[in-house]
Amino acid sequence: MKILVPVKRVVDYNVKVRVKTDGSDVDIASAKMSMNPFDEIAIEEAVRLKEAGVASEVIAVSAGVAACQDTLRTALALGADRAILIETEVEMQPLSVAKLLAAICAKELPQLVLCGKQAIDDDASQTGQMLAALMHWPQATFASKVAVGEGARQALVTREVDGGQETVDVLLPAVVTTDLRLNEPRYATLPNIMKAKRKQLDRVTPDELGVDITPRLKTLKVAEPPKRAAGVKVADVAELVEKLKSAGVIA
Amino acid sequence: MFLSTEHQQVADMTRRFADQVIRPEAERLDREEAFAGEIYQQMAQNGLFGITVPEAYGGAGLDCLAYSIVMEELSRGYASVADQCGLVELFGTMLCKYGTEAQKAQWIGPLIRAELRGAYCITEAGAGSDVSGIKTTATKDGGGWKLTGSKLWIHNAPVADVAFVLARTDPQAGKRGMSIFIVDCNKAGVTRGPKEHKLGQRSSQVGELNFDNVAVPADGLLGVEGRGFHMMMSVLEKGRVGIGALAVGIIQAALEASIAQAKLRQQFGHAIAEFQAIQFLLADMAKDAEAARLLVRSAAMKMDAGLDAAMAASMAKCFAGDAAVAQASNAVQIFGGSGFIRGYEVERLYRDAKITQIYEGTNQIQRVIIARKLLE
Ligand SMILES: Cc1cc2nc3c(=O)[nH]c(=O)nc-3n(C[C@H](O)[C@H](O)[C@H](O)COP(=O)(O)OP(=O)(O)OC[C@H]3O[C@@H](n4cnc5c(N)ncnc54)[C@H](O)[C@@H]3O)c2cc1C
Repeated sequence: MKILVPVKRVVDYNVKVRVKTDGSDVDIASAKMSMNPFDEIAIEEAVRLKEAGVASEVIAVSAGVAACQDTLRTALALGADRAILIETEVEMQPLSVAKLLAAICAKELPQLVLCGKQAIDDDASQTGQMLAALMHWPQATFASKVAVGEGARQALVTREVDGGQETVDVLLPAVVTTDLRLNEPRYATLPNIMKAKRKQLDRVTPDELGVDITPRLKTLKVAEPPKRAAGVKVADVAELVEKLKSAGVIA
Repeated sequence: MFLSTEHQQVADMTRRFADQVIRPEAERLDREEAFAGEIYQQMAQNGLFGITVPEAYGGAGLDCLAYSIVMEELSRGYASVADQCGLVELFGTMLCKYGTEAQKAQWIGPLIRAELRGAYCITEAGAGSDVSGIKTTATKDGGGWKLTGSKLWIHNAPVADVAFVLARTDPQAGKRGMSIFIVDCNKAGVTRGPKEHKLGQRSSQVGELNFDNVAVPADGLLGVEGRGFHMMMSVLEKGRVGIGALAVGIIQAALEASIAQAKLRQQFGHAIAEFQAIQFLLADMAKDAEAARLLVRSAAMKMDAGLDAAMAASMAKCFAGDAAVAQASNAVQIFGGSGFIRGYEVERLYRDAKITQIYEGTNQIQRVIIARKLLE
């Protein structure tokens, strides 16, 4: 069974981003970039499935600028077998990425696409779902457990839902998106960083895949969240209740 | 400094490991003077020992620049832990350079996997900076050797399984009469002194290692008889790059802690970060960190290019060590009284920094080397 894992290059989770002065976007010119943490969880799950003998090959794929190959090298160091870079300078939106991934799926015929439930930059949480729709495949989102059945024909996926956990049985091929509790990703060991340099990394363009990635959405304005006003310390519960009353929060 | 993808990956991975595994333990390890055995096991599993040792021998097969990056990031977590990485690196380098295939097979793997703990034994009571003053002696005995002498302030001595010992094999030949022996520390005649209680890097177990007529088999001799002094010195450049990087890690940790504290601490109705006196301390700290880092990496890249790096390595170690001591002190200053209290990271950094001016050749000796090069 082949597993495809899309990975996105995003601003590192430690970086505090700032909005550009013209309000057009956030300024990431000199920001440190890393792999989207949810995608790391997806890679980890795929690699574990391979180590368990369930998967035969793990392919990492990323769409975006040339520097996305750094993200792919990290995926390779974490255990992916080979990587595909869909190279473009065009701003990527979830639908474009889903279409590109659909084109890759049509070529590679994976039994499972494991992707992050969302990317920490725009938090859209759309790509996996759109991909499933485009492929007419089942989807199981926000997974905290993935158990692939005998012969890789179906999988039991436990999902994190508001009320608790839900387990769904999906036919493969399917799209599964990963939640935080699915696993704890390993470190890319130093010897594996070296080995990753020698693994195969192919490049294609959206044109070669025959996919139109013209942006469909236009960002009108990006603004910083309002600054939080300073709080006050209260001496005891009585004062707290008094303050809440005078603020009209409680009667 | 701009790094290649691979070096950046090494930096990211090591930083993450240090943040998640090492840094949270540093305060306890320091307080308890405890050996960080579990951390070393995890480091071994993640390929953080034997950075420049070729993959064929179980190492990561990376270059000296990568080694300096690893040392800096580990040390930013806790310098004592980085020191262990430096030690294993020296054994790996020495064995790769001078060992027979049998010696490599016997020792490199177990040391890199942290199954065995090694000790690097040069210093004696009468021989510190002046290594030629050592008195430990090995004499031929049948097919092997008998080793007698006493080594002082040896890292890992209280816990070592194997020692790399510099000894005289020809008392008449001075520096050309020394050899290195690989000694099994469980052999009869090997005894250890108690662990020393130190100012800083207190998780490093340091003590005396004594050899009383210890039988060393013929295959315990490393490299060529009589070339021991030269061999020990030949790996010192890498050692100095390593200690320089370790010092950079201390400055970086001090800087990060200081920035956070300066923003947090309010006096006279302002965050102290708003006072220019504090800002200038932060600026000096940052530029020393960067200058030291560049000296260290420049020396490492010279070594990777096969160039003579003796002067560069001495400059890097000396500058970085002096800067670490000065800047850790400034960090304490920024913290005020808190910086003097046990439990605050900068208090430990201040103590941990001092030894970087002393071991791996004191900073006076580094200046002697630099000046000698200038005047030759
Ligand atoms: C925590 C710790 C760990 C150590 N780990 C090890 C280890 O694992 N293995 C090992 O072999 N050793 C180890 N050492 C020993 C260390 O390498 C020595 O302490 C160091 O080389 C200095 O030697 P010394 O202490 O005898 O000082 P000395 O050589 O006596 O120096 C005293 C002072 O005189 C100065 N000085 C000496 N000669 C000159 C000169 N020619 N010109 C100008 N100034 C000079 C020195 O710079 C210093 O300031 C360790 C020491 C410590 C404290």
